This record gives sequence, C-alpha cells and structure tokens, in this order.
Amino acid sequence: MSIVVSAVDLKIGYSSSSVLANIDNLQIVKGEIISIIGESGIGKTTLLRNIAKLQEPLAGELLIFGLDARPKRGNVGYIPQKLGLIKHETVYFNVLEGAICHESIFRSVSGFHDQKVIDKVEESIKLMRLSDKIDEPIKYLSGGQQRRVAVARTMAQGAKLILADEFLSELDDKTADTVWNVMHDYVKANQITLIIVEHNIERAKLADRCFKLERGENNFSTLVEVEK
Amino acid sequence: MKFDSSTLLRRKKYPMFLLFVVLTTWYVFVDLVDGDWNSLENSLENLSIFFYESLWPPNWKVLEARSYPVCDRNWDILCSPAYIGIVETLKIAFVSTGLGFIISLPLATLASRNLQNDSIAIPFRLLLSGMRTLPSLIWAIFFVILVGLGPVSGVLAMTFYTIGYLGKLQYETIEGLSKDPLDAAKAMGLSNIEIITRVVVPESANNLISQLLFMFEYNVRHGSVIGIVGAGGIGYYISTYLKFLQYDKVMALLIVLFFVVVIIDLLSIKARSYFVEDASLKYPSMIRMILGVK
Repeated sequence: MSIVVSAVDLKIGYSSSSVLANIDNLQIVKGEIISIIGESGIGKTTLLRNIAKLQEPLAGELLIFGLDARPKRGNVGYIPQKLGLIKHETVYFNVLEGAICHESIFRSVSGFHDQKVIDKVEESIKLMRLSDKIDEPIKYLSGGQQRRVAVARTMAQGAKLILADEFLSELDDKTADTVWNVMHDYVKANQITLIIVEHNIERAKLADRCFKLERGENNFSTLVEVEK
Repeated sequence: MKFDSSTLLRRKKYPMFLLFVVLTTWYVFVDLVDGDWNSLENSLENLSIFFYESLWPPNWKVLEARSYPVCDRNWDILCSPAYIGIVETLKIAFVSTGLGFIISLPLATLASRNLQNDSIAIPFRLLLSGMRTLPSLIWAIFFVILVGLGPVSGVLAMTFYTIGYLGKLQYETIEGLSKDPLDAAKAMGLSNIEIITRVVVPESANNLISQLLFMFEYNVRHGSVIGIVGAGGIGYYISTYLKFLQYDKVMALLIVLFFVVVIIDLLSIKARSYFVEDASLKYPSMIRMILGVK
C-alpha cells in the first residue's frame, strides 16, 4: 500500500511560541478515509492546512506522496469550511477551476480550454447531479448544492488526496448524509484518500479510521485514534 | 453597580472619540488662525460683494460659438467653449481612467500581500504610493513641460494619478478577499497568474468595477482642475477667463460643469448599483437617487 501522508514528530501551530499540536507518528495510505474530531481551536484546521502545504510545520517531518515539497499540480484537493467557491460565478466556472489542473497555464489563462477539460467538467457536474444548475451562480444554490459543487471541483481536478474541513457543518442531517454518501462512494470507487474534519461523531465514525485531537501535556494537542 | 474609568471609556468609546476629534480639530484650527480672527470677520461681506459685482449674473456667451479657431459645425452650441471644454474634459477622464485601470490592476496584484511575498509587495506599494503622492495638478505641470500644452499631457497626468489611486483601492480590495477560495486554489497547485485570473479577479470583480466608475467620476471633477495649467479640457477656458478677470464667464462654466458632474454622478450610481451584492440596493430609480432615499 502506498503511503499518501506520513508525519513523524510533527509540530504544528502559528509560531514556536504557540504550538498547537504535536503528532508523533501518523501514516495514511492510499484509498483510506480518515476523520479527525476535536474541540474548537485545538488545531484541526491547522493540521489540514499543513497537509495541504498552505502552512509550514514548525518542526518534524511531513511527507505528502513521499515528498517534502509541494505535491504535483492537481494532486491535492482542499475544501475549506466555507468551501472556497467563487460566489457570484456559475457552477461551470467553479468546477472548471479544478479541471484546469490538467492543462497548461497558457491554456487555462487564455481560456482556450482543451476539449478533454471541458468534458471532465461536464462529467463531474453530471455525477454530482447538478447538470440543471450548470449556469447558475453559486450564491443562488442551497447549502447542500454548494457542497456538491465543491466536491465536483475536486472530482474535475482528479485529486488523489482530498482534504475537507468541516464542510458538512451548517447542513441539516439529511442533506449532510446525502453529500457524505456521494463523497464516500466517489472516493471509495476511485481509491482516493480522504481526510475529513468532522464535528458529528457518528458520521466521523463512518470513516476507515477516526482520530481525535485532544489536549495533552504542556497544553499541546495530540492525535489519538478513536476506537470504533 | 460600580464602573471604573476604563470601563466607562470602553463603553462610551464612540462619543469619546467624537469629542476627541472635535477638540483636536478646534485646537489645530485656532493654532492655524494664529489670533488673526479679523480676517474671518469680513469674509461673508467680501463674498457677497464679489458674488454680486463679479460673478452674478453668469455670462452665457460661453454657450455661443467661439470666433477663433473657425468651427463649421451646424449648431452654435457645438462650437462653444463650454461644450468643447467639457467634451475634452470627459474624453481626458475616460481615456485616463481606462489606461489607469489597465495598468493599475497588474500592479495591484503585485502589491497585494496575500498574493506576493513582502519582498515583492512592498516595493510595488511604494511605487503606487509615490504615484499618489503627487496630486494630478503637479503631474499635469510635469507633463505640460514634457509634452507641451494640450489634452495629451492631461491624459498622461490623470493616468499616472489614476494608477496610484486606483492601485491602492484595488490592492486593498484584493487583500480583503476571503482566504478560502485562495487557499483552495493554492492547495490545487495553481500558479499565481491562474489564481489572479480565476479567483482574484472574478471574486473582486464587483468592487473593481465599482471603483472604476468612482474613479471616472473623480477624474471628471479633477479634469477641470488640470486644465488650469494648460493640460486641456474645460479648465483651460476657466483659467483663460480668470486671467482676463471675466468672472461672470467663469461662473457660467462652473454651472455647466456642476450639472455635468451631477449627471455623471447619477449615471455612475445607477451603473454601480448593478454591481452591488445586496439585491435590495439594485436598480434605484432616478428620483430615489436624487432624494437620497434607499
């Protein structure tokens, strides 16, 4: 099994004087679904941002796809808590943002997209059952539909590792379950690794492995695997 | 319940701040007047004399065809100093706003600290700040010396000022963007130019367009000032009439300019309302805009 995320003696936080979490050893393999739970402010988002290479670790080793450097273009898909969609642009425009990872910078900036890229966008939108909303601006979609757009964007991107930060919060249980099932089926069918920060413990336990960030010694958080 | 002074200050911070502003403003004003209150005493009387003896009634000959250079348009008004001056001012404002926008947007993306390192952003912020330090009037004097009298120096002066001013508004808008779309794009591995074209510009488009329209309004108003140093537009005629002490003609031109600026302002408010996020603020009627009712 190839290791997708490997962390050894990892220290994360904002500065050496404010270390949030200390992770001794974490190995995540291809196709695994990992959920992370923990109280607010304990460092869940910071951990995801470190894995996404949006923030540098304070100390220790964090390898993504075996590399310390930024992963290959398109390999990591990040869904922030507020989804990171362009609110007054259409579903098509937002999903295309993911798909442009498959083409050259010249093509993506000039707007002369490859037919394969356009097909990929349409296919992802269809899979998320959003074809009737393709030209609708994001701000006019419901919370559940917006989350499906965010998933479609990572699908079009062809991400091998998806990081989702509490992206099901603010949804009612039924809608959250629907979006979760769609996401779950997609990652399992395509052997994609998913790391999801989740506040709903029942849903978090549906993952292959569930970890909890909890306050340890010296006020640092540590990552503990939760028995299911 | 007892309150200490720091709690009281915290709870009454807005009235306290207002009081502070009023007191410091008055103190600095008194310092500037330097005891010479007599100069203020006769000011209203002086204004009244100047207004009735020199400015009023306005001389509407500015709307008649000028004698030189020869103009062969059909209607007199199309050959009048007022029309020629105001059209030239509008043209200068339009071209300089457009050019300024095209140049300032890339500079603003280079000056934004959420897109670039400080080592890149800070020099570009200093560049924009430098362009803003000189008012358009000084830029106009500079370009009149460089390229001579006329609207081209006006366009160059206003373009430079527009770059500095609009660039600042733009990089502040970009820095105010939500972090999430930028993070999602960076994690994907998109390049800086892709992040700018696919995230930054679409996400801030409404604000950028609104600022562009505001800048056009601003440039129309300032276009009348730069003409005074020979950079074209209605200011050229105002300056000529001032030199010959024809204040009644100046008054007529100022009235024309006032109406043009009000019309541009109203059209701009209307246009900007199309780019306001809140749907309830969209498409205000002209009457509501004039009355200032939402």
